[in-house]
Formats: sequence, C-alpha cells, structure tokens
Amino acid sequence: MTRRTLRTDGHKPEEGLGKYVYCVIKAPEDKNSFGNLGFGGQEVYTFEYKDITPVISDAVFKEYAVDEEEVETHRKVVERVMTEYSVLPVAYGMIFKNRKLLTIAMGAGYAAMKKAFEAVDNKVELGIKIFLPKGVEDWNGKRSECRSEFLENLRGISVDSKELKLFSDRLILNVAFLVDKAKILEFSERVGEISSGYGEVKVQYSGPWPAYNFVDIYILGKQRKGFR
Amino acid sequence: MFLIDDIALRALGISIPSIDMFWTIEQIYKFAYKETYNPEKIKSQIKENRLLYEFGETTRDEYDRTNSELMYKLRLALKASEMDLGQKTDLLG
Repeated sequence: MTRRTLRTDGHKPEEGLGKYVYCVIKAPEDKNSFGNLGFGGQEVYTFEYKDITPVISDAVFKEYAVDEEEVETHRKVVERVMTEYSVLPVAYGMIFKNRKLLTIAMGAGYAAMKKAFEAVDNKVELGIKIFLPKGVEDWNGKRSECRSEFLENLRGISVDSKELKLFSDRLILNVAFLVDKAKILEFSERVGEISSGYGEVKVQYSGPWPAYNFVDIYILGKQRKGFR
Repeated sequence: MFLIDDIALRALGISIPSIDMFWTIEQIYKFAYKETYNPEKIKSQIKENRLLYEFGETTRDEYDRTNSELMYKLRLALKASEMDLGQKTDLLG
C-alpha cells in the first residue's frame, strides 16, 4: 500500500492561495519545513507523495512571467534545499490551484520523476563558459583547440555533458556537466589546470547547480507553462 | 473573385515589377518584424548582458538599465507571438 499524506505539522495553508512547486526530493524522514523563503515570505514545506515529495509554498495563483526577483526567489529556495538533498529541479512558474491538482500531477509524473532521480541522484551540475576578450574574433584559430581541450578532459570526469546555446558572438563554449558529488574537487582542479593554459580568455566556472540541463519534466504538458 | 497570386506567377516565371516591389517591401517588413519580436534573440541578449556584468565589463547601473529594456522587449515579443500578429487572413476567402 502506498503512502499519500500531506504533512502539515506546524504548517497552516492559507486560503485562496495556490501551491507553487520549486523542486522534487526524495521524501525525507523527519523534515517538513525549509523556513519562510518562498514567495511573499511564505513557508517552504514538503508535500509527500509516495516516496518522493515536491517542495512547495503557498503562493498567489497567477501566471508567473519572467521576473528577475521572482526567478531569484525560486533559485534561492532550490539552492537551499539542495544543501541537504538531491533535487529534481522544476521549471520556474509551476503552480497548482490546490492540493488535489498537485496530487493528480504527481501521479501523472511519478514514473518519469523516479527515472529522473536515478539519473541525477548524488550528482550536481557544473557549468563552463568561455568568453573571448573584446574585439577578438578569430583568436588565431585557437578557438577549436580550446573547446576540444575543455570538452575532452572534463567529459572524462563527468557522468554526462550537454553543450548549450552560444548566446553571444564572443562565447566560444557553453557547456553543462553532470558530475558525481564525490568528484567535484577533482573536476574543479582540472578546470583550473586547463584554464591556466588559456590566460587570454575569460572562463566562468559555476555551480554546483541542480541538474537543470539534464532533467526535462513537464507535468501534464509543456504548452501551459506549468500554470494549472 | 480572381486574385493574382505573386507566388504562382513566380512559379510560372512571370514577373510584374509593381507586384515585385510590394513583395520586396513585405519581405523587408517581415524581416524587421522577426528581428524586433524574436523572443529567442532577446533572451540571448539578456544572457549576454548578464555575462558582461559578471565578467566586470559593465557596471551594475548599465546592467540594470539594459536588463530592464530587454525585459520590456521580451514581454512585448512574447505578447506579440501569443497574439500571432504575423498571421494574415484573407477575409474574402
């Protein structure tokens, strides 16, 4: 028999607000609150569904447009949660009108989420961006050499990698790596070694992030952008 | 009602200068529209602006100003694409 309970110890949901989902984690034994970090200072808490749980807060039920401050709130909550748990990131703006709809969505996405957990459990995403200095276009043909050196070396330490869009003419590499938590230090040292050979370019090494680029779950379809 | 379809005429190798001129203007308009209201392009500009700030090539004030302009443009572009402003309907069928 499966468990399907809502932990409400110490949490009193507010009337008229929807359930905003930040991420999904494996159901913790003893934790149900992450503090008042949510939108409007609302409490961020867990909503248990079988053996996984979305991390949610009560929030105004609206379509969440791109807003830097709100995206930042979403990001901060996910980062806070990932200090303690492996997380499945959920796209910004995923809000449900009530608990019942969230439960239905969890049921629909359960199998996909379980599978995604296997892929990202105990792993983090690390990002590398390499940026050419101002005014340099060709860089004496070293562009492909630099790209290959980073990619080949770092792919050897990572579980997976994904090349991302080059959104600027000066960007020559934009790649996300999925790395075992135990190998973060080794990965960082290798980044430092390779970067030192290319002093003329700017290298941005970022993370650890949730595996945003390796999980792509849209509960109940992509079209409505998570607004239900 | 008989309408001369410029595409059909082109397929037959027939070119009428006045229609050609309208066709060219329309292509320029479509190109300009696409450039202005392309959400993906604006999103790239937003990311580039952020990266320039993170690399210390722009100040916080410059970053904030450009970001506000781009976010406004993005909202317009998304609204425009939702409204399908690029679509034409021949009401006379």
